[in-house]
Amino acid sequence: MDRYQNFTVEDFVWDSFFRQWVLSPTSETDKIWQEWLEKNPESRLKTEQAEGIVRALRLNEPQISDPEITRIVKETMGRIETAEKYPSFEEPATQRKVHHFPWLRAAASIAFLLISAWIIYSLSNKKAAPEIAVNAPIIARQAGLIEKLNASQKPMTVVLEDGSKITLAANGRIRYANKFVAAKREVYLEGEAFFDIAKDPERPFFVYSNGLITKVLGTSFTIKAYGNSNEVTVEVKTGRVSVFPESDPALNQKTSSPELQGVVLRPNQKIIYSREEVRMVKTLVEKPEMVVAKAEIPQFEFEDTPASEVFDTVGKAYGIEILYDEELLKDCPLTATLENQTLHEKLFIICKAVESDYEILDGQIVIHSKGCKN
Amino acid sequence: MKLHSQSQENSDDKIIWQQFLSGDVAAFEKLMSIHFRTLFHYGCKFSKDQEFVKDSIQDLFMHLWEKRNRLNAEAVVKPYLLASLRRLMHRSASSKSWVGEGQPENAAEVFDLEFSVEEQYIDTESTLVRTRQLEKLLLELPKRQKEVIYLKFFQELTREQISEIMAVSPQTVSNLLQIAIKQLKKHWKAEFLTFFVIHLFI
Repeated sequence: MDRYQNFTVEDFVWDSFFRQWVLSPTSETDKIWQEWLEKNPESRLKTEQAEGIVRALRLNEPQISDPEITRIVKETMGRIETAEKYPSFEEPATQRKVHHFPWLRAAASIAFLLISAWIIYSLSNKKAAPEIAVNAPIIARQAGLIEKLNASQKPMTVVLEDGSKITLAANGRIRYANKFVAAKREVYLEGEAFFDIAKDPERPFFVYSNGLITKVLGTSFTIKAYGNSNEVTVEVKTGRVSVFPESDPALNQKTSSPELQGVVLRPNQKIIYSREEVRMVKTLVEKPEMVVAKAEIPQFEFEDTPASEVFDTVGKAYGIEILYDEELLKDCPLTATLENQTLHEKLFIICKAVESDYEILDGQIVIHSKGCKN
Repeated sequence: MKLHSQSQENSDDKIIWQQFLSGDVAAFEKLMSIHFRTLFHYGCKFSKDQEFVKDSIQDLFMHLWEKRNRLNAEAVVKPYLLASLRRLMHRSASSKSWVGEGQPENAAEVFDLEFSVEEQYIDTESTLVRTRQLEKLLLELPKRQKEVIYLKFFQELTREQISEIMAVSPQTVSNLLQIAIKQLKKHWKAEFLTFFVIHLFI
């Protein structure tokens, strides 16, 4: 402590140990300084001045609230998750950057075409129908099922005794009971099929496919469960569908309850279930369609309409939840006619106009906006 | 005690860091939450565009996650994060101006500090004048000296940590620090003296 004897006020101000004592004193540092000041009373005036300066000179840091930090952290985690689980939904940040390099986009398209071609080629080479992949124990319990296989290249429609229609894609195969017993309607699927299920809340309809159970009350949806793939996708067109893996510990309770439990999908949402890693990713179907009746389809003509209202109109028409910050968007007026575009085109145009971005997160659309200052 | 709590902080950081490196998402989320505010404060010194700063921090963590297998398990977390953010912001600022969009002010060329003087801590007018003078002098420092002062006195980092963050040698950090403080003291004395002399004559 001897070196402090000849310190000036400004020396104290820029001394780390002194600052530490002033700004966050502890019993130890306080004892050291008090003892020193008792032995060096002539320095007291200087340390008092220096103390005032250290305390008074505040560095102004920009403010950011805890909820805002939490929001950004959660968003980042979501992006990491989507990027890992479903690489085609990479973080918008990269997508944004890609727009600056048209050749990159071209290269990406070519790569995509090549990969698609390869997938189609390898799929068509596996013409020999693979072993049915539905869960063995369940099959064993249900002897005497009807089996339908679509060996043609055209879609094949099967009508069940309850009036439900199942349209099988090429190589699609289903098994079901000739007459549904008791409180359940059950179908085993391998391959791809579109389901239009007759409404019967008393008897929920179950589809078993590659380890995933889809439970519906009355609705239409598509399931893709190819025997040679570990993934199952379920895309909902109308109504609500709930899905859960066969490995779900609460399986009995979920299948027997009259309500829809597990992950509930709404129209235009889609789930990708991967059996190997037991995880489900909820997202949107590639080309969402409007869910409201033809007569109720809104005009999509906006004149000086707040962006928040525009998002509400679009979200309602497609039955998709669009999340946005109301405070930020209320001052963003939009004038546009958006009648003939797909959902993604509509969103792209709206976002462009109000300087926002959008992202698909957990089967919903999240708008990232900075607000409109002008 | 202060030193204790800091090393406690460091060892907590280290545990979370190593959990993150082994692929623990919860630890990674915690890591980002803990350091977000410090990074935000630091990032805002290089750019007034707060959204750009937030995006940069998000990008930083996405990169960290992607390359977690190649990161150093023994890294000192806070300086490492600050250093990475600094690099990332300078890089994206220069690519922005290369593409031709973005502000003319290059992030590499600014280090903005803002101070305020809280008068309730000051009991004499001469101390108030001294403080205001010091504020002015701080703001006039060249940007690298300002950054050293900020990291040393307002983030309480060591010479070695600052050298890592600013990508210069520890000796350079010492030199910058010395020059800066000398400047602050020298001018301060002169200004204060003039003020004092004027007051004597009035």
